[in-house]
Amino acid sequence: MQNLKKMGWSAALLTALLSAGSTHAMSDDEFRNEFLAGSMAWSEVESRAQEEGTVNFYYWGGSDIINLWIDQVAKPALAERGVTLNPVRISATKDTVDVIIAEIASGKGSGEGSVDMVWVNGENFFTLKQQGALWGSFAHKLPNSANFEWDETDPRSLLNLRDFGTPTEAMEMPWSGEQYVCAVNRAHVTQSETPATFADLKAYLEQNPGKFTYVKPPHYLGNTFVQSVLYAHNPEGSGADPFQNSLEDLGVERLATLITPGFEYLKELDPLLLGGPQGNPRYPESSSELDNLFLNSEVHFNCKFGLYGVHTGLITGTYPERAEEMIFPKGNMIKNKNYLAVPLNSPNPAAALVAINYFSSVEAQASMMAQAGMPAGVDMWTLSAADQARITEAAPPHYGVTQAELDANIAPDTNASLVDVIEGTWLEVIERGSNKPIKQVVADVVAGLN
Amino acid sequence: MTTQGLRRLSVGQRLFVLAVLAFTVGPFAPLLIQSFAFRWAWPDLMPSVWWFEQRQISPFPLAWDYVLSPTSQVLEATINTVGIGVAVMVVCLIICLPAARVLARGHFRGKRRLEFVFSLPLLVPEAAIGIALLMIFIGLGISGTYPGVIAVHLIPTVPYMLRMLTSVYQGLDAGYEDCGRVLGANEWQVLTRITLPLLLPGVLAGALFTFLVSTNLFLLTFFIGQGKIVTLPTLLFSQISGGAMGATAAGIALIASIPGLILLVLSDRLIREEAFALGIGDT
Repeated sequence: MQNLKKMGWSAALLTALLSAGSTHAMSDDEFRNEFLAGSMAWSEVESRAQEEGTVNFYYWGGSDIINLWIDQVAKPALAERGVTLNPVRISATKDTVDVIIAEIASGKGSGEGSVDMVWVNGENFFTLKQQGALWGSFAHKLPNSANFEWDETDPRSLLNLRDFGTPTEAMEMPWSGEQYVCAVNRAHVTQSETPATFADLKAYLEQNPGKFTYVKPPHYLGNTFVQSVLYAHNPEGSGADPFQNSLEDLGVERLATLITPGFEYLKELDPLLLGGPQGNPRYPESSSELDNLFLNSEVHFNCKFGLYGVHTGLITGTYPERAEEMIFPKGNMIKNKNYLAVPLNSPNPAAALVAINYFSSVEAQASMMAQAGMPAGVDMWTLSAADQARITEAAPPHYGVTQAELDANIAPDTNASLVDVIEGTWLEVIERGSNKPIKQVVADVVAGLN
Repeated sequence: MTTQGLRRLSVGQRLFVLAVLAFTVGPFAPLLIQSFAFRWAWPDLMPSVWWFEQRQISPFPLAWDYVLSPTSQVLEATINTVGIGVAVMVVCLIICLPAARVLARGHFRGKRRLEFVFSLPLLVPEAAIGIALLMIFIGLGISGTYPGVIAVHLIPTVPYMLRMLTSVYQGLDAGYEDCGRVLGANEWQVLTRITLPLLLPGVLAGALFTFLVSTNLFLLTFFIGQGKIVTLPTLLFSQISGGAMGATAAGIALIASIPGLILLVLSDRLIREEAFALGIGDT
């Protein structure tokens, strides 16, 4: 892999140096340099996009309603702008990341790849960035970047500037903003039984053993559950705050102290989870597997990134009829965004920019909320009153809770450098059932990472 | 089998027939029901809400409405899958017929080892070679193209076809061909009038296998096709990643099994007719 990385870098450099130009008046490299330097009018980008003609958009295609929105709304809207949107539906974004890196490593540099635009976040973005496979810092230069907060001094800009702790450096544009929300099946759980804290959840499971589980880390949904447990059990009482620091700033020792109570809780929870009473706790491997357990009443709760997950589940028949949202864990519902990125070797970069600019328009965001159940990624306070109203009206309904309640309980994501350590600690303590003190486990995991 | 035939069977034999039916037809039943379901939860034996009940009020096309809409890309995927499958089958035959003849009839040092080496591609997991192959194919300039995908499909199919044809060739006495030559047939006539007709059952079985393997390849198709070439397996994988299967995934799965089914029926017929016409076999 190390070799591959090196090859990727040198290949990218080589092509950047030797690039032979293309059919356009301006080569792909010249276009990139001029656009990123800010010396290009948007109308020039638009006319170049029309010359390029097509944009190949690679995205996870497992959701019918998202696919329909892309085909029925985004495609015609981009056709009006002279660009043909070619949606390529994939089962795992990681596969596409592999394709991009392999292309660059085998010498397909600027303008010679196959992917123009990809829906990413977290680890996949981190990999692309680390391998130098991204096109550049374009996001804040698009006209619709005005719909987002980029000012570092405003803490609300964090979701646009950091993707799971990795600085985005405007190499990807926020598309949709998600929140970690748990759904409850009202056929089994009454309002008064509904847990609001992790202690409540444990009490509920002591009465109803086996009726909860979470997606297995290192899946990001599992990591997120673990992170919210750690926030809530932070012995310093400062919740998510210390988890915003990198491992280096925080120190191994302090991290171990911070996460020990949380892991003690997860250990106690383990025998109460699905299959736990039979001595074999079961953690589903993916979100759709958990959806299915929830539909079949094997569990009474379903936690995932899905601000409108209940609405989507009800209109697609994948959730039980009496599913509702709940505020859990109080004050620690993790919020993040997902993004659109352009690979370094995009063959149609101008068309990709035009498409991304469209995806981040109020027009597109409102219709995608209404039709595809995807929460808006634009920042409301940057919008005019009319646009704010447009977004609010487009929002799908909530069930059992209000948007204000959801907004009042948000927490930020964990720094990516800590996520690896927390993930490794979970695997050792919960998966392998190690009895070593947490402090020791954390030290071992950190030593193993380096 | 006629009902009279069934009656003659003992209880044990009847149970056996039932078990075979359950294993072959059984998996299709839940798929079929799921494809017409809107909400189907445990412990309901049948869906609590059907697709056609929800159809009128749903804000978007559900289940079969989605599968048959252009958004599902089912038509494009079916054409690609069948086209690539047939091409792979033909190229595979062209490669394997002469090779099998040599392996079956020839005598040379290291033949056993060579046969073993030819089977090696079956042992290597797709995931392990996908990226490396992609890099080679990019270098050759055929990644993301139909020839590229067809070429990569040959890797796991050639060993199957070769094994099958070699054993058929071994069963074919070279004396038949010699007889033809003695009676004045030229090489072309020997090939088309004697060798191929006698090989036909084996060729058909090999072709069927090749087609079925090709139409089921996901990872190699995705990597080499770079996602641009949509086939039924790549479509299905984007629908079922994660273990749960909804109505649209069930519908696509059913459609994905149709090309293989048609070929199975066709080849079954051909083999029987040919065997009957030539008067070999026990029928």
